[in-house]
Formats: sequence, structure tokens, C-alpha cells
Amino acid sequence: MAKPIVKIKNLSVGYNSPLVSGFNLEIKPGEIVAIVGISGLGKTTLLRTIAGLIPKLSGKIIGNVRRRGGIGYIPQRLGLVRHASVYHNVELGARCGIKVNDESGNLLNWSNRKSVLIHETVKLVGLTEKINEPIRRLSGGQQRRVATARAIAQSPELILADEFLSELDKENADSIIRLMRDYVKNNNSAMLLVEHHLDRAKQIADRIVDLGDFEVNLNEEE
Amino acid sequence: MSTKINKVSVISFSLVILAFIILNNLVRGDWGDLTGGFGNLVKFWNTDLWPPEWALIFEAQSEPPKCNVKIEFFCSKAYTGMLETLKMAFVATIFGFIGAIALSSFAAKNLVPKSVLVPTRLILSFTRCLPSIIWAIVFVIIVGIGPLAGVLAMTIYTIGYLGKLQYEEIEGINREPLEAARAMGLSHSEIVSKVVIPESSNTFLSQILFMFEYNVRHGTVLGLVGAGGIGLHIDRAMELDLYNHVMTYLIVIFVVIVIIDFLSLFIRSFVTDESELGESSIFTVLLPASLAQKFHQRNKKI
Repeated sequence: MAKPIVKIKNLSVGYNSPLVSGFNLEIKPGEIVAIVGISGLGKTTLLRTIAGLIPKLSGKIIGNVRRRGGIGYIPQRLGLVRHASVYHNVELGARCGIKVNDESGNLLNWSNRKSVLIHETVKLVGLTEKINEPIRRLSGGQQRRVATARAIAQSPELILADEFLSELDKENADSIIRLMRDYVKNNNSAMLLVEHHLDRAKQIADRIVDLGDFEVNLNEEE
Repeated sequence: MSTKINKVSVISFSLVILAFIILNNLVRGDWGDLTGGFGNLVKFWNTDLWPPEWALIFEAQSEPPKCNVKIEFFCSKAYTGMLETLKMAFVATIFGFIGAIALSSFAAKNLVPKSVLVPTRLILSFTRCLPSIIWAIVFVIIVGIGPLAGVLAMTIYTIGYLGKLQYEEIEGINREPLEAARAMGLSHSEIVSKVVIPESSNTFLSQILFMFEYNVRHGTVLGLVGAGGIGLHIDRAMELDLYNHVMTYLIVIFVVIVIIDFLSLFIRSFVTDESELGESSIFTVLLPASLAQKFHQRNKKI
């Protein structure tokens, strides 16, 4: 049986007092899990804690991920460098992406590898023509594609995404969902996302955890 | 609303009254020093300051270093002195800016823990608490009279001054790009160079221009303690009571500062929060960046 990408045991998160307590979750390779729930339950705090951005109050997070580049984090407002280009933003991910071989299987030098990876990923999300455009000149949908490309270029074992499909029209949302699902399934990675809309969560995720009622949901899984 | 205005008025009025009371205390109630003051200034102006010694600008200096350029202006004391001040200010601004970036990234609370932040801020405070003229005296003692002392003094002061402005700017940048980079596992230097600097580039450009202006102004003062530049000529002229020479140098400094101010405003008019200005024009040179942007956008629509 494949080792889980992340295993969360009895986790409590919050700032001074716990927002979420006794949270348990295990995500296997190739699996996408969506956390749903009403606002204010601590979904974002939970995700930021798993990303290692804020300390946990108690419990365990066991991650089977690389130290550098293992976690691809897409915050709610995407966390892109607005004054920089698409290339620059995707390059941030590519810096810690895995090694890339050329067509004959030879290892390219770091700079070339990085450049190849960036161009391939930008092509994948359909933004080749916009590669030198600054982020602030892109539409909301295009910016989400850049955030997706940044995460993919990084080749993470675990993608954490915080409502990154919000405010997207169906066409854009569908295409980003397809990209993410393809990446996770083809690379045996995992994805944990927070999603406000249950319909979208069902569309992208293999499993849904309702934070307002997660114990029941997890028991169902077991 | 009116109660709020009244409160503001009362507080403002009280502060002005308090300032007068403190001033009266400082002059120990003796306001006699002010009587006849303007007359003294007129007399000083007529006898010592005016007319300026224009030869300092348009004639080659008699003392070494000798100058081989045919146009005498380029060999004049005012030109060579001002050029030296400008060079000193440029070098100090560039090195100071680099030093400030390096230190400020260890002084911003959204980038480093308190254990790193506090000592770095102490270093920055120390470099800033001594005025650049005191640093100039220190460096004149260490490296001797000349422009190097001035450059070092201005560099240290620039690090302290810009460092503070920069870490405050860094603390104000959006949290999310930093968090995304941190979650990825990027190093501190990668986060600074790839996220912090691009995110703050507009403000940093504004700061560097401001600091250059500031260093040119202060570079003229540093000469007074032997740290090179046009200030050194002013110091010598004052020692010999040649106040019309001092006046000439002050006119040169004034003209150069105004030119730098114009250039700086011109460059800054390209830089706004959105950096969307395609062009600038003479009409927007004197406007702040935000107003210049509105002007250009209005023109574009037309």
C-alpha cells in the first residue's frame, strides 16, 4: 500500500484559542481532497498550518514531501508577484522543481533546465503569448493559470490551494480543474484544497471533508 | 462632526501656544535679539554676499589639479567641486542602497524572527542616530581629508536611513506572495530577490532618487569638515571671510538641486502603484506621481 503524502493526527489549529480541534486526515498519492464549510470555521488557518506557515497548537502533521519544493501553496488571492512577469512567477516554482532531462535523456544545466521547465509549464496553461506580461495586466482567470503553472513547475508532492477557483467563470474553472487533476493523477501527487462552493469541490475532489462536521465525514471514510 | 473639528482646532491652537511658550523659555524672555536683525541681514548682503564671484564658475581655477579642457567652465572651482559632490553622492547612494537592502531584509518582522530583527534594527538605529556630518568627522580621522571620507560617511548614513524606510516598506507588502514563497521552501535570499524587491520596486526606486537628492544636499555640507566636494571650497572661502565666494557656491548648489529635483520628479512620474504610465511630459514634471498618472490617463482617453 502506497505511503500517504500527508497524515494529520488530532490536529488543533488557531492563533490563541483553537479554531479547529482534533482534526484527522490522510491523503494518499493521486488523491484530491476538498475541505468545505461555512466562513469562519478555520479552513484557511488549517491550510496555512499544514503549509507550515503558522505553528500548530497540538497534534501531528506527518508529510512525505521534499523539504524544498515539496509543498505548492496557492493562497486565496494567489500570492503572485504582481509587478513581475508571468515568467518570473513561474520561475519561482521552477527554482525548486525536480530535474529535467533533455530529449536524449541527458541532464541539462540548471539554467537551461529551469528555462525549459518554465516554458513547458506556461505552454501547458496556455499563456505562452503572455509570458513576458506583468501579472497586473492579466485577467483573474489568467492569473489563476499562472498560480497553477507556478505550482506545477515546482513539481510538488502536495498542493495546498485556498479557494483558488473562486470568482472564476465555468470555462476557466473547468480548464484549471482539468490541469490540476491531470497533474495530481499523472505524478502521484496529492492536493488539499479549501473550497466554498460544494459543487466545485465535488467537481475537482475525490473526497470531501466538511469542516463543520468533519468527524462524521471521516468516520464515513473509514 | 463639529465636535471633532472643535477638538482638532483646540488641540492645534494649544500646540501653537505651547510652542511659543517653549520658544520664550529658550530665549529666556529676551526678544531684543530680533530687533534690528533684518537690518543686519541687508547690510551683510550688500557688503559681503552680493555680487557673487562669477569667476569661480566661468574661469579655470589657478591652483592644481590643472585641467586640460578648453572650455574654462569645466575647469572652474564650482564645476569641479560640484561634480565631486555629485560623484560622492552617487557612489554613496548606490552602495548605501545595496547595504540597506541587505540589512532591511533582516529587520522586517514578516521576514525574520525577533531574535534576528532586534539586533539588526539596533545596528540601523546606530548608523542613523549619528548625523552624516559626525560620520564625516569620524571618517576624516580614519582615512584623512578628501572625498573618500565623505563617501563613507554618506554610505553609512544612507544604510541607516534607507534601511528604516525599506523595512517599513517590506512590512507593508502583501502577505500572500511571501507565504507562497515560504511554503515552497525558497531561501531568505531568494525570497528577498525574487519576491520582496519586485513587489517593492516602485517604492525602492522612489527612495533611491530621494536619497540621491538628499546625499547631494548633504554632500555640500560634509565638505565643511574636510570630506571633499564643493563644501570644501565653501569651508575655505568662509575661513578667508570671502562670503561672495560662498554665495557663488550656494547659487551653484541651488541650481543643481533644482535640476536634480526636476529629473527626479520626471523619473518618478513614470512610477506609480500600477506603473502604467507610458510617457511623461513637461506638464507633469512638477506633479506628484498619482496626479501625473491621472493626467496621462485623461490624455490617453482623449
